[in-house]
Amino acid sequence: MTVVGARLNKGLVLTGIHKSYGKVAAVKNLDLHVDDGELVALLGPSGCGKTTTLRMVAGFETPDAGTIEIDGEEISALPPHKRRLGMVFQNYSLFPHRTVAENIGFGLRMAGMAKSARDAKINEMLDLVQLQGRGDVYPSKLSGGQQQRVALARSLVVNPKVLLLDEPLGALDKSLRESMQFEIRGMQRRLGITALLVTHDQEEAMSMADKVAVMNGGRILQIGAPADIYDRPKSRFVAEFLGASNIYEGHVSDDGGSLVTPGPQGPVRLHLPEAQKAGQSLLLSVRPERMVLTLGEASAGLAARVVGAVFRGNYAAYQVEVPALGRELFVYRQADGPLGSTTYHLGQVVTLDWAAQDGVIVSAE
Amino acid sequence: MSDTSLQKTSPGRRMRLLAPPFLALPAVLFLVVFFVMPLIDNGMRSVISNDGGFTLSRYVSLLTDGFYLWIIAQTVLLSAGVTIISIMIGYPVAYFLVRKAGRFSGLIIFLLIAPLLTSIIMRTFGWQVLFARRGLVNNLLVDQLGILSAPLRLTNSPEIAIAALVHVLVPFMVLSIATVLQGIDTRLEESAKILGANRLRTFFEVTLPLSLDGIGTGAILVFMIANGSFVTLVLLGGGMQTLPLMIYQQFNTTRDFGMASAMSMILLVIAVSCLFLQLRLVRRKGT
Ligand SMILES: Nc1ncnc2c1ncn2[C@@H]1O[C@H](COP(=O)(O)OP(=O)(O)OP(=O)(O)O)[C@@H](O)[C@H]1O
Ligand SMILES: [Mg+2]
Repeated sequence: MTVVGARLNKGLVLTGIHKSYGKVAAVKNLDLHVDDGELVALLGPSGCGKTTTLRMVAGFETPDAGTIEIDGEEISALPPHKRRLGMVFQNYSLFPHRTVAENIGFGLRMAGMAKSARDAKINEMLDLVQLQGRGDVYPSKLSGGQQQRVALARSLVVNPKVLLLDEPLGALDKSLRESMQFEIRGMQRRLGITALLVTHDQEEAMSMADKVAVMNGGRILQIGAPADIYDRPKSRFVAEFLGASNIYEGHVSDDGGSLVTPGPQGPVRLHLPEAQKAGQSLLLSVRPERMVLTLGEASAGLAARVVGAVFRGNYAAYQVEVPALGRELFVYRQADGPLGSTTYHLGQVVTLDWAAQDGVIVSAE
Repeated sequence: MSDTSLQKTSPGRRMRLLAPPFLALPAVLFLVVFFVMPLIDNGMRSVISNDGGFTLSRYVSLLTDGFYLWIIAQTVLLSAGVTIISIMIGYPVAYFLVRKAGRFSGLIIFLLIAPLLTSIIMRTFGWQVLFARRGLVNNLLVDQLGILSAPLRLTNSPEIAIAALVHVLVPFMVLSIATVLQGIDTRLEESAKILGANRLRTFFEVTLPLSLDGIGTGAILVFMIANGSFVTLVLLGGGMQTLPLMIYQQFNTTRDFGMASAMSMILLVIAVSCLFLQLRLVRRKGT
């Protein structure tokens, strides 16, 4: 008999998870695999079931159906305190009546570690999160970023099997958030900890995670490496939630090479990344930054007029009106105009185009 | 979202900014006329002997005479007992109210304060009706169920007085504790659990320490009210002697007003010490 079976799946595996609150189905038939040492981000709009999923892993909610395994061991029946996890909340959740050191040492004390060993570990952690010498202060005396680092230290010191992060940076301001993203990511990598991150901030998900799982309505729509998900969205929702997208609806032309989309002045042909079955209905997504603008009218491309131009620092966002399509599209261009202005200006006539392979066919979901 | 951090602005500074001082004048006048002056008068009476000279003899006998010491001790013990029982009954109720009751919390709060809406005399007679020799309880035990052959002597005992006091005072305890429990972020408890604390440890490591303030406030309230309780003890106490009863006796029987004043000063000192204790408790936590 082979003994492979049980220990095959290292890391965190959720299978067929379902959870309803009354009539509201918060999570529907969800499968997720977080590999050993990997950080997966659950990304989705408010109310899509991210927190519920995380809380089921933690053991604060019980799934109606499905299994949760860590390193091949089914944990659904275990109470939270026996699951050996770490968790960081958005509001830090540090014990206000305990010092920083006591907060960090809490899990060790619960595990029954002797004080001297505990103190050594606490100091090690304080060093790791750059809070040397602050062990004796109370959490309320620390800044938000420092508190979050203490929370991180507190959850990591027990060497958890899986680290759960629920919007860990939501309460911090933007610049601090960015540096904390690197810090958390660096620490998770160095310690090789399996981690599940919940966020509704796509930038945070993309910069921290090995894999991003885009959720909507209690389901995971797509999971993959950030670049993969961004460049190859499978559905309209993913294309529009992760970054921005211009979506075209239509059917495939008889020769299979272009998308025929209706317009006020008659059908318009748009190029497709690859040949498709003639006649079928399709959605084509093109990222604003993949669109090319040229001044004046050109033989190829769509004639358009600039109706909005916004300077955004490293790039400019344009809104252009396309009479042939009867709608407005978004175009992002690298800031390459003269300093102090955008390249194109309101009212200018431009031609809009994109390379055929930059378009992505997405499902309507 | 509730903020669980313990930041406190200095209350002194804030008070100074609130309003021009003269607005406090009516309140100050009221306090002076109806509180400070009677208090001074009372204090004076306790140290002026019957022939008009200064004397501390009343305090000396109150604090050295075994009989009086026993009365003071009994007063404090009674209040302490009522307080402890109120905590033990009140905490679980408050916990249930905040964490488990959900939409029934309104009903529970109503049931809690309903007894306070009846007058103390009515409530006390209610207890007598329940526990009298031929009252409801004895009736049930002897006639209906036949468990006992003769009725129990239930009224006029310290136990019944304590029960009656707990009955009225528990709502204060519950509400004090519930207010504080309400403010505790449940994610703190969840953090403890994730870090390996079972439910019991979570309670003793997180919930209880964070709700000490509520227990403190409730305890002070209950202790002070129990300390000064009179009607309940007169009607149900079965001859149990406490300071308020003694003061009443000094007025009505002995007509020794000086002694009554001295006793009430002692009662006051006990109450003030309580407040002081609570202040200490709050300040210690604010580190
Ligand atoms: N305890 C609860 N009782 C009832 N409904 C709940 C409960 N918790 C969550 N829900 C519902 O389940 C759904 C998913 O909620 P969840 O908190 O998982 O969303 P989320 O993705 O974390 O959203 P957010 O980004 O706003 O935090 C929502 O419709 C929510 O209203
Ligand atoms: Mg959430």
